[in-house]
Amino acid sequence: MKTERNLMNISSVMFALNFSILAFYSLICMTTTYRICESLGAHDFLNTVRQVPQYPWQMPVQSLSLYVLLCGVSFFKRFRPIEHFPFRVTIFAVEVALCAGIIASVNFYYNGVALLVLADLVHYIRSNKMRLCIIVILSLLFAFGRYDIVQQFTSGIPFGAYLDFYNPMTQSWFTGLESLMVCLNILLFVLYMILLFTSQKDENERIRKLNEQLNQANDQLRDYAINMERMTEMRERNRLAREIHDTLGHTLTGIIMGADAGLALFDVAPEESRKRIEIVAQSARDGLTDVRRSIKALRPDALERSSLPQALTELVENFRLTTAAQIAYFQETEELQLDQDEEDALYRVVQEGLTNAVRHGKSDRIEIRITRNEDVVAVFIRDNGTGCGELEEGFGLRHMRERLEMLGGTMSYGNLSRNAEDGYTGFFIVVRLPVRNRRED
Amino acid sequence: MKKRIWKWTAAALLILCLCLAVYAGNRETVLTIGVYSGSYWNTPNGNCYEILDEAISVFEASHPGVKVEYVSGIPAGDYSEWLAGRIMMGTEPDLYFVLPEDFDLLVSSGALAQLDERIAADPEFDTVVYYEPCLRSGQYDGKQYTLPHESVPTIMFVNKTLLEENGVPMPDNDWTWEDFYNICAQITHVDSRQYGVYGYSWLDAMYSNGASLFSEDGRSCYLAEDKVMEAIAFSKRLTDLNEGYTVSTRDFDEGRVAFCPLLYSEYRAYQPYPWRVKKYSAFAWDCVTMPAGSSGGNVSEIHTMMLGISSRTHHADLAWEFCKLLSIDEALQRKLYTHSHGISPLSAVAEDPELLRQIHHDIPEGSGFSPEMIHQIMSNAVVVPQFNAYSQAMNMAENAIKNAAGNRLGQSGMLIAESEINYFLNKS
Repeated sequence: MKTERNLMNISSVMFALNFSILAFYSLICMTTTYRICESLGAHDFLNTVRQVPQYPWQMPVQSLSLYVLLCGVSFFKRFRPIEHFPFRVTIFAVEVALCAGIIASVNFYYNGVALLVLADLVHYIRSNKMRLCIIVILSLLFAFGRYDIVQQFTSGIPFGAYLDFYNPMTQSWFTGLESLMVCLNILLFVLYMILLFTSQKDENERIRKLNEQLNQANDQLRDYAINMERMTEMRERNRLAREIHDTLGHTLTGIIMGADAGLALFDVAPEESRKRIEIVAQSARDGLTDVRRSIKALRPDALERSSLPQALTELVENFRLTTAAQIAYFQETEELQLDQDEEDALYRVVQEGLTNAVRHGKSDRIEIRITRNEDVVAVFIRDNGTGCGELEEGFGLRHMRERLEMLGGTMSYGNLSRNAEDGYTGFFIVVRLPVRNRRED
Repeated sequence: MKKRIWKWTAAALLILCLCLAVYAGNRETVLTIGVYSGSYWNTPNGNCYEILDEAISVFEASHPGVKVEYVSGIPAGDYSEWLAGRIMMGTEPDLYFVLPEDFDLLVSSGALAQLDERIAADPEFDTVVYYEPCLRSGQYDGKQYTLPHESVPTIMFVNKTLLEENGVPMPDNDWTWEDFYNICAQITHVDSRQYGVYGYSWLDAMYSNGASLFSEDGRSCYLAEDKVMEAIAFSKRLTDLNEGYTVSTRDFDEGRVAFCPLLYSEYRAYQPYPWRVKKYSAFAWDCVTMPAGSSGGNVSEIHTMMLGISSRTHHADLAWEFCKLLSIDEALQRKLYTHSHGISPLSAVAEDPELLRQIHHDIPEGSGFSPEMIHQIMSNAVVVPQFNAYSQAMNMAENAIKNAAGNRLGQSGMLIAESEINYFLNKS
């Protein structure tokens, strides 16, 4: 982005400029100290300032090394975005502390570093509260980190005392250079802020528009989904009607006709009548087979094709692929040769449990465990999601319970402990289903 | 691979730290001393480092592993600038001599460490052994910053030959202004170029009249006070004797002047042989105390060479030990007393009759400086407060006095000047 690049350029120029300013102050103080001593003016200087100066090397070494550290932190943060919140706050605190340290180390002659850090951090921080906090701290630092204010509390040598060593011409050169650089820093800061805020305003506008479009798309999608559901329902209803018409209707018609014929022949030709009734019985039996076949057609496809363990494995595998959730699946019994309705119920339990965990619980780690104790098959499902605020039984859960209760089973569910050590802190479902014993088959 | 690099780096750092520790442990501690060469009191001095060298050998013997160093060859006149330069560069000695005129600057700029806590914590150290004025020279705002090393009071030079020629007896050590004035009046004959006194200022008169021009903190001036006014009037009376003639050094050197305030160090240097032949050899001379004013005593100003510890030293304890050795150790002070030309700040040393006899041994006619006289001078001496605006305020006072003499405004003129000076002092 163009503005982003411009901001980056301005901030780089500010970093370079501040380095020059700090070098300017600290080198003038250091070299002037040496020159004063060389020209035997030390006694007069001390007499004027009435203050033991810092070690001559102290200001350049301290201020410039702190400044290099500040640059390091700032660039580190720029090129390696940090998501971890406490770490981010630490980085901000370090930058502010370094800034204060730099201002103090140049004896409060120069406080423009606060503007540099302010520009640097305001760009980086997105949270408004945090921004306000940083702005207040750094503005205070900028407002009060001035020699003439701080001097009231601590004693330091005024920068002018060093400049006084030079002749008026040199002095005016130095002060001119000083104010030029300081003004340039402020100017760059203002420019940076203007650019930053206008670019953010544009971006906000863009985001608002995108959001609107997204909402529209969502609405359309919802309508589509409702239509789809209605159509599916209708198609299913039609299929059921057709099925009933084709099988039951056909068979029942046959049975009625056969039975009527049987009744009519009952007295006249009992032998014939018996034959007819036998045919009726046969066609009733055929009809039952047909009905069974029809119901079978409503079964889950996977169960139709393979055994329950296989179908479950497949289900879990598919789920894993489509949702990217980590699913730990433990089947702790080999004996899962159950009746169809029982298999269906268990399959549906696992399916519904997985769907709920991801859709409502927003979890990405789910554990499924299937055990069998004598004639009771139990299913445990738990996840690391958000759980469920109010335990209100939705359609899915109610349907599951009804299905299980029809087979004499039970179901319980609820939220897990928030500080479970193994990480499963979301929702759990426990299902117990007594199965008809088919072991001897 | 990365892990191995870390391991090596850690190992290298550890070894470096160990080396540094061993180096720091084996290194000799060096204590640096700031000292000037020659004599601060402007008197000829043989080997100026003799006492210091001896102190160093004593100190190094009792403190193994400590080496005491100093830079030699800095003339007393350049010492202030040298020290200021060292302070600017941050390389000032751990312990240094403090000239009386630098005391205020060094304390107010924070170069000197405060000694009160050390003095209180040191059971061997008792300040009663010092003359009070010597100790007071090292105080600022009631806190002790330096210890006295050697003091020099002002005394009155008397041209004995001139007095004898005019039939005037030698004054006693408890003489007064009136005695002083009478002798001067008797001696002064402007026609035959013979004068009473040279270099006696209203300040000398003021000190011996029990007054001081400024308060200790340098915030107020007492120019219009009666005692000060008396001193001013007295010095004017003396100058009026000369009928407008300004007495010069030449008159004094030629033996035409009876009295002149003199530093005790000059007396010590030029009264005995061998230096006796160098100065004032054309006539016989001796010294007495300053004449007492009507409300004061035979009191004069005292200058004290002091020792201070740098506020930034890393060897404060050692510096304190060495400072004590130079200041309060009697054996060293005795040596100093005989070698240098000042008076020891320790009363036990300064007033020792045996030592005094030894000192005055080379004065053919003997010395009037008895232990009692030294006691009197040293315990009552005036320490002139030094502060930042001192010289400027002093100039203002001098000008006011000059003007007052011109327009005869008297005390009201002084009151105006005093309030002006007070305003200046409080502003600066």
